[in-house]
Amino acid sequence: MFEALKATAVDEINNAFGSKNVGLVIDGKPILREVNLLFPAGEVVALVGHNGSGKSSLLKILGRQIAPTHGTITFGGIDIEQYNSATFARSVAYLPQDISSGSDMTIRELVNCGRYPWHGALGRFSDLDRRMVQSAMAATHVEQFSERVVGTLSGGERQRAWIAMLIAQDARCLLLDEPTAALDIAHQVDVLSMVRRLAHEGGRSVVIVLHDINMAARFCDRIHALRGGRVVASGTPRQIVQPDTLNEIYGVPMNVVDAPGQICPLAYVE
Amino acid sequence: MRVAWLVSGGSVLTATALFFLVATQQLPLSDWPRAWSEARTINEIILVYGMLPRAAVAILAGAALGLSGALLQQLLRNPIADPSTLGISAGAQLAIVIATLFYPDVVDGSRTSVALFGAGVAAAIVFALGWRASFEPVTMIVSGLLVGVTSAAVSAALTLAQGEYLMSLVTWNGGSLSQQDWAVTNALSVELFVASALTALLIRPLLLLGLGDSSARSLGVNLKGVRLGVATIATMLAGVVAANVGLISFVGLAAAAFVRGCGVRRGWAIISLSPLAGGIFLWLCDGLVQAVAGVTGETFPTGSITALVGGPILLWLLPKVRTLSVSAQSNRPAVRVPLSKGIMVFFALLPIIVAFAYFLANTGQGWVFLSLSDAADLAPLRWPRLIAAAGAGGLLALTGAILQRLTGNPMASPEVIGVSGGAGLGFAAALSLVPTAGPYTLVIGAATGGFCAMVAVLAFALRQNMPAGKLLLTGIAVSSLSSSVLAVLMAAGDQRAWQILAWIGGTASAATPATAIFLALLAVSVLGLAMTMIRWLTLFPLGIPTAKSLGVPVGVSRALILALCGLATGAASVLVGPLSFVGLIAPHIAIRAGFITARDHLVASFLLGSIIMAFADFGSRTLTFPYELPLGLFAAMVGAPYLVWLVGRR
Repeated sequence: MFEALKATAVDEINNAFGSKNVGLVIDGKPILREVNLLFPAGEVVALVGHNGSGKSSLLKILGRQIAPTHGTITFGGIDIEQYNSATFARSVAYLPQDISSGSDMTIRELVNCGRYPWHGALGRFSDLDRRMVQSAMAATHVEQFSERVVGTLSGGERQRAWIAMLIAQDARCLLLDEPTAALDIAHQVDVLSMVRRLAHEGGRSVVIVLHDINMAARFCDRIHALRGGRVVASGTPRQIVQPDTLNEIYGVPMNVVDAPGQICPLAYVE
Repeated sequence: MRVAWLVSGGSVLTATALFFLVATQQLPLSDWPRAWSEARTINEIILVYGMLPRAAVAILAGAALGLSGALLQQLLRNPIADPSTLGISAGAQLAIVIATLFYPDVVDGSRTSVALFGAGVAAAIVFALGWRASFEPVTMIVSGLLVGVTSAAVSAALTLAQGEYLMSLVTWNGGSLSQQDWAVTNALSVELFVASALTALLIRPLLLLGLGDSSARSLGVNLKGVRLGVATIATMLAGVVAANVGLISFVGLAAAAFVRGCGVRRGWAIISLSPLAGGIFLWLCDGLVQAVAGVTGETFPTGSITALVGGPILLWLLPKVRTLSVSAQSNRPAVRVPLSKGIMVFFALLPIIVAFAYFLANTGQGWVFLSLSDAADLAPLRWPRLIAAAGAGGLLALTGAILQRLTGNPMASPEVIGVSGGAGLGFAAALSLVPTAGPYTLVIGAATGGFCAMVAVLAFALRQNMPAGKLLLTGIAVSSLSSSVLAVLMAAGDQRAWQILAWIGGTASAATPATAIFLALLAVSVLGLAMTMIRWLTLFPLGIPTAKSLGVPVGVSRALILALCGLATGAASVLVGPLSFVGLIAPHIAIRAGFITARDHLVASFLLGSIIMAFADFGSRTLTFPYELPLGLFAAMVGAPYLVWLVGRR
């Protein structure tokens, strides 16, 4: 009994997010069903699955963008509904998939926006805020174009600038919705290795929606896979990148091949 | 779905029954064949040359509008497109008013061509404005509203200036279907036949447009040609109806919505059934008008009924509009101008405005500079107008800037909150319900209407997942309902029409020292309050998800912002009427001048708006001396070239 309680308490401290029986129904259509997942603190966790598997919806639920129809989400052991909006925003930062807006701001102005949860609608923009913005831009290597207008940046630079805003938000947890969708392979690697570094060196938890299973395996500590709104697999990259598991996730026959110098095998479609 | 079929069956039966009810009162059914072959008595003549053609015109005009609406909706992939919501009908009306005033000999005999010309110009402007946003639904409707409201205001002002001559014309505008012979029937049937034949030719490529531009192009569709062709057919239909019958709004909207409500999905079926639905709808409305006229002796133009039915349908359709976020691709200058420079320019311009306002006068023969003592004598007359106009301009420009940031739509202007539209509706209700309405009753009516409209829009704003585009459409629905009801009431043609005309025009001469000081204080306090919302207005352009994840209370902050805008617009529209071009233009110019951050943008727009309105007041007072142009109208005339320039810029 006591052991069980202790185990839960440890669970809650070690996990950023936990979902219990989460379900989502939109217009009578079930999007997510009985999702029970843990997102350990300090890890980069990937959400993968086919189109319409519900991975983006799950990320939106974690970020309180939409409310689940059933079940609860906890963050740091507390139901996320109990946080007020400022406290939640200080703890969890969310990057939407569409970042085409805000294109006439400078990078610095964009990153300044990340300080809103700390100074609020009327508070002064303090020296601390200024320092946090500076170090966020340094951590994402965008300080050299801090005075340029966002609309003139390339896709990869723009993605880094938005992540800088999330870093300035100083949240323990980052939720990223397909940050690499529109990027070429070099920029994908650039953004993902930066995300991995920010998590492991900065002690942040990251949940990231990704399309490419090999990218997820290469850069993430853990993979949760969804299919048709249900969790079909969950584990380390080595556990997930197996022919049978991949087949179950994507519904097409897949196989793996060992790549020299890589921890994890590579997946390919047969 | 079954309900919809029942309703359509019921409508046909009711329309037929109403027609026979009224017609058999005129002449027993047994006498009809004789009357048809040779009408002798007055009753027979009324039946054959009045009632039968009237029914035919109702059906044909309704069918033409139904087809026009269905074509525009398919073309623009927009369920609320219609000749009235796109400003096409209002353009036709304006052309006829202008021609009647200045070229009366042209109108005689070629009224149709004049109306077609006006409809074509209006459609061209609206389509050109929507072009760069790839005909995004909200942008199209906002542009249509701008063109429509402006045309209506210009027509109103011209009518006001020319007095009694035009009252009969205004009556025509209301959409009265009464006929003296079969000429209109013949004209409409020829037109409908030609349009149907052309539609049949274009139907296949038109349906392919539904796949999206790039897919249609890769299938070999000539996008420009099809667009031009279909838009021409739709405009022609609306123009001919406007020329022959007058302003009948929302029929196309209602017809196509009804056909879809019956469960019809396929494009060609909607296009071919909508004329049928439109014909029945207008016939039914006309039957109701005649039945009411038979019982009470009060005749309304049929257009009033369609507007009253169509407005709520428009609101009901809003959730179905697919809004796209228009990402304004910025080719804006990277150069930013510090706000202090803008403020310096403002203070540099102040003495010029004061000099203009106090010392420059038009005597009717020429311009003169007044002596100091003359200027001092006139000062008590001048300063309230100047202050009030500047205050109203600042308020409208500030509102426009706030709304453009809040919704991310560069075409958003103060009309779209619906406050002035609601005020217009309240004004109209007070006029028609209280026969002896004095000025205070009217002001109370207008205030109540504006308040109700604002509450409706705020209720939408509080729903967090409501996209900003739909927020805009709610206000637009109120505004276009209001402008059609006002147009129809004017068409009643009695004393009330003058009051409505004066309301639409807006005038600064109504400003007293008290109202001027009130407006100025309000303007400054609204600017101050807006400064407390700067952070929200910085975050909203990043998109609702981002604003939300940063902890902005989306519903509450939107409601607060809109409440402030409603207050500002309401106060300003008392002075300048429902036209608020300055609210569209000033924020654009401010951004292009390099005032980009939220704070700089709001302050610069405010200052610019007050300058523009102060100059507009000077112009409206002096240009046509000794007559005075309505202030709102003059500002619109200054704004129209800007709109054209916006169209021309690629």
